[in-house]
Amino acid sequence: MTHRNVWEAETTLPPADHKPAELTLDYCIKCNICVTACPVAAVTDLFPGPKYEAPQAGRFRQADQATPDHSVDYCSGCRVCNMVCPTGVRIAEINARARVPLVAQGHVQPLTRLRNNMIARSELLGQLGQPLAPLANGVLGNKSARWLMEKAMGIAPAAPLPKFSRQKFSSWLKRHPRPGNATRKVVYFHGCSTEYYEPRVGKAAIHVLEANGFEVLVPEQNCCGLPLLSNGEFPAATSYHANNVRKLVDYVKQGYVIVGTSTSCTLTLKEEAPELLDYYTDDARLVAANTFDFNEFLLLLYESGELQVDGLRPIPMTLPYHPPCQYRAHRIGRPAVELLALIPELTIVESEAACCGIAGTYGFKKEKYDIAMAVGQPLFEFVQQANAPLAVCDSETCRWQITHGSGIPAVHPVELLAAAYGFPVEAPLAGLV
Amino acid sequence: MKSHGDLLIIGAGLAGLMAGWQAAAQGMKVRVVAKGWGATHWLSGCVDVLGYYPLDNARPVTNPAGTLPHLIAAQPQHPYALVGPQKLAAALAALQTLCAEADYPLHGSLDHNWLLPSAVGTFRPTCLAPETMIAGDLSHPASMLIVGFRQLRDFYPNLVADNLSQQGIPAGYVTLDLPSLQKRGFNTPVTLARMFEDTLFRSEVVAKLQPLVRDVERVGFPAVLGLHDARTVKEALEARLRRPVFEIPSLTPSIAGIRLHNILLAAIKQHGGQVFDGMEALAADSDAGRITAVYTEASARRRAHRYDHYLLATGGILGGGLRTDYQGQIREVVFDLPVSAPAGRLNWFRRDFMDREGHPIYQSGLQVDAQFRPVAANGTHQAVYQNLYAAGTTLAHCEVIRERSFEGVALATGYAAIEALRSA
Repeated sequence: MTHRNVWEAETTLPPADHKPAELTLDYCIKCNICVTACPVAAVTDLFPGPKYEAPQAGRFRQADQATPDHSVDYCSGCRVCNMVCPTGVRIAEINARARVPLVAQGHVQPLTRLRNNMIARSELLGQLGQPLAPLANGVLGNKSARWLMEKAMGIAPAAPLPKFSRQKFSSWLKRHPRPGNATRKVVYFHGCSTEYYEPRVGKAAIHVLEANGFEVLVPEQNCCGLPLLSNGEFPAATSYHANNVRKLVDYVKQGYVIVGTSTSCTLTLKEEAPELLDYYTDDARLVAANTFDFNEFLLLLYESGELQVDGLRPIPMTLPYHPPCQYRAHRIGRPAVELLALIPELTIVESEAACCGIAGTYGFKKEKYDIAMAVGQPLFEFVQQANAPLAVCDSETCRWQITHGSGIPAVHPVELLAAAYGFPVEAPLAGLV
Repeated sequence: MKSHGDLLIIGAGLAGLMAGWQAAAQGMKVRVVAKGWGATHWLSGCVDVLGYYPLDNARPVTNPAGTLPHLIAAQPQHPYALVGPQKLAAALAALQTLCAEADYPLHGSLDHNWLLPSAVGTFRPTCLAPETMIAGDLSHPASMLIVGFRQLRDFYPNLVADNLSQQGIPAGYVTLDLPSLQKRGFNTPVTLARMFEDTLFRSEVVAKLQPLVRDVERVGFPAVLGLHDARTVKEALEARLRRPVFEIPSLTPSIAGIRLHNILLAAIKQHGGQVFDGMEALAADSDAGRITAVYTEASARRRAHRYDHYLLATGGILGGGLRTDYQGQIREVVFDLPVSAPAGRLNWFRRDFMDREGHPIYQSGLQVDAQFRPVAANGTHQAVYQNLYAAGTTLAHCEVIRERSFEGVALATGYAAIEALRSA
């Protein structure tokens, strides 16, 4: 079978008659391997372990019935349980869906729900905060303000809330000259973090794609909705996902694929939103099948000899790398490690830590901050022991948490690739390469 | 398309991990993919080689090395016959060296089976046992106290002690009710294993036990004495209690099994090998009698793995490598290889659940040639694919549970398959 593009071979449409996650609980043989691997249960008994809620209590409930055991709120959604389950139970998804009736039927305190809704609307926060970046950053960095935020809203005062960028990624892009020699096109999904907090990641991605002959299309897009999914706010998440599908599907129909540097956004487009929301429209399945993690995509290019790797500049450093849970949940191995290995003189030391703890919005919450920090402790120690000026990680919230816990700044792998291609880089990479 | 490397191993039980370690240590570029963790977390953490032979013999094998030639002569298709006693010994020796280097020695040899207490107080024959378990040796009748924990619901010290006492081993029991455990809503073997690594928790245990152990010669615990540093935990307890301490493996997850898993995983990675969980192998491509790619399930798509050689180590019916259905079909799940199995569902089982002859379905599995390559069903004994090998309990003509040969078959075939493919 010949394919027009290398990535088509990897593109299969998810089936329309997808089974709800709950039906997989019948595969559970009660071996407790998930409980063994759960990074949250390892540090607190507020969460007994993934098995207890999902496959165990789950079989006694109707789909829309709220679980009487509210400990499911302490599942961070890291998906380590899914990865280790020998029988294929979709444990994390069952847990995520178990939160929905709790929220919908009013079992979550109104103030907590308001807090969850605020921190889960990253796009709205960005739209409100970024134009006032200096002021907003001042407030977020102010101890009294953070004290107030804790008391009024339950946001942990020490939580690593990101700083708004002075310039949005999309504003930079408008003035970015397009190269005239593009031979192919690709769609870039930047996600909220690149747009409002870390445009440097998006710039690096655009540079790397353009260096490989792509014209990069950046259509209008929304938050992927993952923070809302994690907080059990499914109706709101559905409208975000529906909007994204609507805005992206025409590009897919024209034959372009979507790549994203935010690994949790791409996982949401691919799998989490359709699966959690039972959102298997033809268009949603098309978008899912044609969305790629950035490094997954580059590695496919590399494997088919289509990635420009000649003349990469050496980066003589040894850096610690953490593959985030959301990245491992793509089940694609470690494309970032394999790509970074192409950079001369760069040595990557891979973390074996289960999770950084932050899990999106989890570690921002007052009642969960200490758990998140305890979960991340082995990773922080690993990063510190590497004794390097930088850490490398594919997910934005994980980078913020790593820096918060270890004191070491963190970059996305694409920033190192951009540097190796000779493009200008920004702090924290600037000055180091 | 570029090749990803020399060897893709499907399955991360003992066979897959042993093979992955051997291949990586010998300089091959190896990737191990697994649907999830499995056998290592279910097994005892000891290495059973041959516990019973002939299978209807009520007395356990005392000397596996002496009994193996009889098995090999009687069952020339048994995995042990394909491996041969020398490679079996080499595989065990390799694992013993690796575990000793990890400060977790496995004691024993092929000339001798230990008899150690099981979680129900029976005599359990096994060939290699971790240092944390050997003081439970039942070949001498030294008295013992079996310690349980009120908050650990997966271990019943009274059951162990009563059964051992009836069989001539003087054993008492105690169920500790410790404040540190009362605080926690849930206690699993993993929680306890982590707590035992903490000096304060050990002191709490020792303080309760000291007055109770005066009249006993040794003390048995469920196998929860530390996840990473079990030897230190055991020695610290022995120093305080002034008598030998041993572990008894209990229900899943098996802490002693996880220790072996961790040691093998670290060895593979140390030699540059990759191990990925959450990657279920679904299908494969072949061309001219060779496997050209294996596909694993991934988010929204499948991921291709292109290697020079492939090793199937997905286990049997329990491990998920063989799937049975209500129509009486039995299938190998990745390559749809021919499976040796009794024809028709009626012939899978004998009438009695506990029949001494066992059930024929448990002998089912893949038939392989001398190089451990699965062979065609037509009786020609020709390899189905030139570069596809199989190891572990996915192989036919053994009954690893009844034989008490699970770990031995897995380790030996994993080891031998790598030797075979390297000489191919």
